[in-house]
Amino acid sequence: MRRLRLGPVVAVGAIATVALLTPFLGLANPLHMDIAHRLAPPSPAHPLGTDAYGRGVLSRLLWGARVSLMVASSSSLLACVFGTALGLAGGFLRGPVEFLALRGMDVVLCFPPLLLALLVVTLLGPGAGTLIPVLVVLYLPGFVRVVYAGVISVRTQDYVEAMRSLGAGRMRIMLRTILPNVGGPVLVQLSLAAASAVVLESGLSFLGLGVVPPTPSWGLMIGAARATMAQAPLLLLWPCLALSVTILALNALCDALRDAVDPHGMTRRAHRAGILERLAPGLLPARGPALQVVGLTIAIDTPAGTIHPVRDVSLTVMPHETLALVGESGSGKSLTGLATMGLLPSIARVERGAVWVEGRDVLRLDEAVLRRLRGEMVAMIFQDPLSSLNPVQRIAPQIAEAIQAHSAGAGKAAKRRAVELLRHVGIPDPERRAHNFPHEMSGGMRQRAMIAMAIANHPRLLIADEPTTALDVTIQAQVLELLAGLRHESGMALVFITHSLPVVAEIADRVSVMYAGEIVEQGRVTEVFARPLHPYTAALLASVPREDGSLPEPIPGTVPPPSALPPGCAFAPRCRHVAAACRTGVLPLMEVEPGRLTRCCRWSDLA
Amino acid sequence: MTPIITAENLSKHFPSRHVLGRGKPVQAVSGFSLAVRRGEAVGLVGESGSGKSTIGRLLLGLLPPSAGRVVLDGTDIGKADAATLRRLRRRMQLVFQDPYSSLDPRRTVGAQIADGLAIHRVVPPAERHGRVEALLTQVGLTAAHAERYPHEFSGGQRQRVGIARALATEPDFLVADEPVSALDVSVQAQVLALLADLRRRLGLAMLFISHDLPVVRSICDRAVVLYLGRVMEEGPAADVFERPRHPYTKALLSASPTLDPARRRTRILLAGDPPSPADPPSGCVFRTRCPWAKPACADTIPQLSNLGPGHRVACLRVDEIADIDQE
Repeated sequence: MRRLRLGPVVAVGAIATVALLTPFLGLANPLHMDIAHRLAPPSPAHPLGTDAYGRGVLSRLLWGARVSLMVASSSSLLACVFGTALGLAGGFLRGPVEFLALRGMDVVLCFPPLLLALLVVTLLGPGAGTLIPVLVVLYLPGFVRVVYAGVISVRTQDYVEAMRSLGAGRMRIMLRTILPNVGGPVLVQLSLAAASAVVLESGLSFLGLGVVPPTPSWGLMIGAARATMAQAPLLLLWPCLALSVTILALNALCDALRDAVDPHGMTRRAHRAGILERLAPGLLPARGPALQVVGLTIAIDTPAGTIHPVRDVSLTVMPHETLALVGESGSGKSLTGLATMGLLPSIARVERGAVWVEGRDVLRLDEAVLRRLRGEMVAMIFQDPLSSLNPVQRIAPQIAEAIQAHSAGAGKAAKRRAVELLRHVGIPDPERRAHNFPHEMSGGMRQRAMIAMAIANHPRLLIADEPTTALDVTIQAQVLELLAGLRHESGMALVFITHSLPVVAEIADRVSVMYAGEIVEQGRVTEVFARPLHPYTAALLASVPREDGSLPEPIPGTVPPPSALPPGCAFAPRCRHVAAACRTGVLPLMEVEPGRLTRCCRWSDLA
Repeated sequence: MTPIITAENLSKHFPSRHVLGRGKPVQAVSGFSLAVRRGEAVGLVGESGSGKSTIGRLLLGLLPPSAGRVVLDGTDIGKADAATLRRLRRRMQLVFQDPYSSLDPRRTVGAQIADGLAIHRVVPPAERHGRVEALLTQVGLTAAHAERYPHEFSGGQRQRVGIARALATEPDFLVADEPVSALDVSVQAQVLALLADLRRRLGLAMLFISHDLPVVRSICDRAVVLYLGRVMEEGPAADVFERPRHPYTKALLSASPTLDPARRRTRILLAGDPPSPADPPSGCVFRTRCPWAKPACADTIPQLSNLGPGHRVACLRVDEIADIDQE
């Protein structure tokens, strides 16, 4: 948990202390009138002057703060407590409690708030005593709604199920597990309610329906000052200033509280460096490769300093070829894929290197050219087609749009071609399926639709980022077969990003093994898997569950984060074959046999 | 040895909501029976929608069955009163798939592990802290980790915390619902080794739910293959995976990618998606995708028949298919 920011606490504390200590400050009686000195300028007895009845403005301001703040804080706190309890019970217990809580609040919401307040105050008579319950009722629905919505989303979380599975009672789950997780929005709501209660109290008092004169309150002071605005404009300024400062302080405090109860650290702020710096021009690639990546280094600026999640990555993929980019999470394989598309997230920038797609440097094209390149030359499919497809548009128009983005043509023709593509990727009954929304399709079907969209403009290179990870094995087999077939008939190159070595063995010709942002080994799949020349590849292969029933061998430790890379070889701390030489210096990627690369300085001892 | 937990003829259907009133109920599980002995690990294999997670929750009493019953150590958990159920809960625990959503992000992991200790008064309050540290050590973390929040851990470490939380109540029976499928391979192997070790040392009975066949093979004694809520084949893990008899098991194994080129079988590519559990095919539920299906498969629901010690298969044509394979 983070420490509470001190500023807002001090501000609200100071306001509250002054209000509490007012009786002991030896100020003039706020009710004592002195008509002879009405509207007097500041004097030692009345530091802010006097009002239309000769009463001390400072004294009235501070006494008024007591009333205004008491009404605002008690009404918003009470509304918060009752509203949270109702929302919590309604959302968690469901059934009749839910009905009562929600419909009851709907009834309250039916009345315009000010009208409701006016009605009650008129019936019960003005005064702080009636004002508080009125404000509580007014602010109750907000709290109930916010808490209820939070509970509904939190109650389905696994950790709530875990508490049930542990045998925890309802009370315990509601108070210990759910409440802290809906707390953030409640605090925000509390700050809004408190601030608006101060304003509403002033408003009602101004209308003569709140606090009764001559008791001082900020609303009454504003009301009274209005009459003498021309003679003494400052009279209006003081209560308004007090009101604004108090509301600002309250909001700041609630924000600070919300941040403090959230155990997550501060969200990372990132800025994008405008231009690609120190960009090595890179030699013009020989004609031929569908993709050539040369010395790609990606940097991300974090508050703790610049990290390099991808360092010095070089790849070549020929037409008709499938290259697998394999690695665990944090290895930089997905970032490499995104950089190839010119689609790096805004927090990341390319620090060095060049990416050539069909002979064009993706990193230095301007956005318009790049956009045309995407789809026509290079396309990408992702792990989760549901989040990559537009959920509110039917499948065929989405594909048609992708087609029309690259070639002028009638909408009709594009639609026909969309259906054709759906048939091509093996979607049964494509005419009917074309009218489906993404959520009406199964995971395998969505991935096929995604592939249909990707190949719509005959790209020369397809980048597939974990395209089968979310799919069942039988569906995965179908999609792998489909990709292999498409590659075979169109000759496009395929970069297949995955963490699964068996999938690599099934689909790829060559493999690049990545670890902590670097390529550690590269070569033909059959050779690399039969005789790994880097200890990480060997350990990774041993950690794959065997089919003979023996337990796989784990790799001790975890992948180092890019912010804390060890010196020398990044794998050294987890390596069984580590030697003194591994822990210092920069280890280059060496071509030890034609087409076989390894970053291990002890490769000859391993072989 | 008597089983610690038995499921007898469990069925579960969920009412499905439709724009016009109620639709057909979704048959998530039908006629599922299982017995798990102390120290035994049973693997529940199936694709999404096969009902494997539902079965896990039915066994734990987190969902009420529509028919059938679950008996833990002689007590029917469906009939148990609240106090008994609470006591039974202590003896069976759940390990979740997603190491991110299964931990409360707002409380320290120590406090979450201590929940089980406090709810069931496993140890006096004064000893809780020590026990939390012992549990963390048991799963390969350190005592210092107790004060940290979930987001400070890696996926594998979070899964260890989840296991420590489940172990806090000293359970006899653990349901592990895809406990390693969200983890990286190298970390997955770590967690598998931990589970295998805990099972050996504590004599835990385990229901291991997974879609990953090699993972199940490596950690389980027995395997149950599910399709659309029904058992297709069950038996000793080695038997089921080395000599699968049901067409679905064969297809599943042949679809599963493998590193070993020698093992790469002729692939039986299943066409299409599994049918919706709201509208399962008549007769054998697998017949719509089965390469060996014949008209009779649509009429009769195949029953599980014994093929060897503990090896049972629900397929009308199991003998004929064995002959075809031999040719």
